[in-house]
Amino acid sequence: MTIKGQKVEVFVLKERCKGCGICVAVCQTEVLALSEEKNSLGYRHPVVINADRCLNCGLCEMFCPDFAIWATIEKEGVLG
Amino acid sequence: MAAKQKSSTLENIFHPTDYFLVSDIFPTVWCPGCGIGTVVYSFFEACKEKDIDRDDLYIISGVGCTGKIAEFLCLPSCSVTDGHIIEKAVHINEHHPEKKIVLFLNNADFLISGGKEFKKARKKKLNILIIYINNLIYALSRDQAFPLTPYMRTSTQGEFEIPFNIPYMACSIGASFVARWTPIRAGWMKQSFVESFSVKGLSVIEVLSPCLIYDANSGRILDPVERMAFYNDNSEIQFWVPIKNLDIRRQKKIIIGKFLDKNRINDD
Repeated sequence: MTIKGQKVEVFVLKERCKGCGICVAVCQTEVLALSEEKNSLGYRHPVVINADRCLNCGLCEMFCPDFAIWATIEKEGVLG
Repeated sequence: MAAKQKSSTLENIFHPTDYFLVSDIFPTVWCPGCGIGTVVYSFFEACKEKDIDRDDLYIISGVGCTGKIAEFLCLPSCSVTDGHIIEKAVHINEHHPEKKIVLFLNNADFLISGGKEFKKARKKKLNILIIYINNLIYALSRDQAFPLTPYMRTSTQGEFEIPFNIPYMACSIGASFVARWTPIRAGWMKQSFVESFSVKGLSVIEVLSPCLIYDANSGRILDPVERMAFYNDNSEIQFWVPIKNLDIRRQKKIIIGKFLDKNRINDD
């Protein structure tokens, strides 16, 4: 989804993730899902399936206990 | 205070809260789905909203799971053995009176070893914020029940006495801001942190945090999402409830909300 002509992007740091699945349960528009592959700690991290649907509501960022996921409106050449 | 690890600079900031955290120490030490991470996140979101920088804060934490918070903060912080935590706060207040002192406490620091010590906070008229993270059990020593465990929950004989009432105790210490939230209400919790920064005196915020160990004895270990949903289903928001009615009992909904605010203008 685009908000005021700007694209929303979801970032996942998969090495920080512990696979609790709270972000997947909390997302109202079904952007995220748990992946099949595992990270170096052996947890299944979230991946973005439907990137178009993200509303930038910030719920996944708010509830993630491991500071691993966030969404921002994309700016040119600036990460996060 | 031991030297911190590599501090956060502009190059290794990824997450919006990484400005306050040490970036080397990830992943964090807590269990998957623990509520402590959410509390830390919403506290620093409140700091951002109030334009509080790293040097305006001093954070003290105790022992156990909650004590690990001070280890990965990129700001003046220390973790103290239980029973000496108010002493430390008094020292810091004498040397840096301009700093906002925040205590992250758990059961052992607030109730068991350090409980008696909190009379000092009233005498000295400290300007501190106490965030009491309550997971209803001694998590690191497995199934041990403690004064806030509801009836017949974890130990084999059960906890026979009525669970302790934290907001009532906070009022008797002389608090001027009392609230209670769970991590599933993270937005409300952040709003309470913002309000408590402008309150003078002691402010106590209790957070009922989900814990992995809590259900281990009853044979059903819930997964993190179910555990968060448990606190969502068994709690209800009520504001300005009489403080004597706030103890946590079994087969009753946990009342969460804001209960005391000396800054409040009476509407009614």
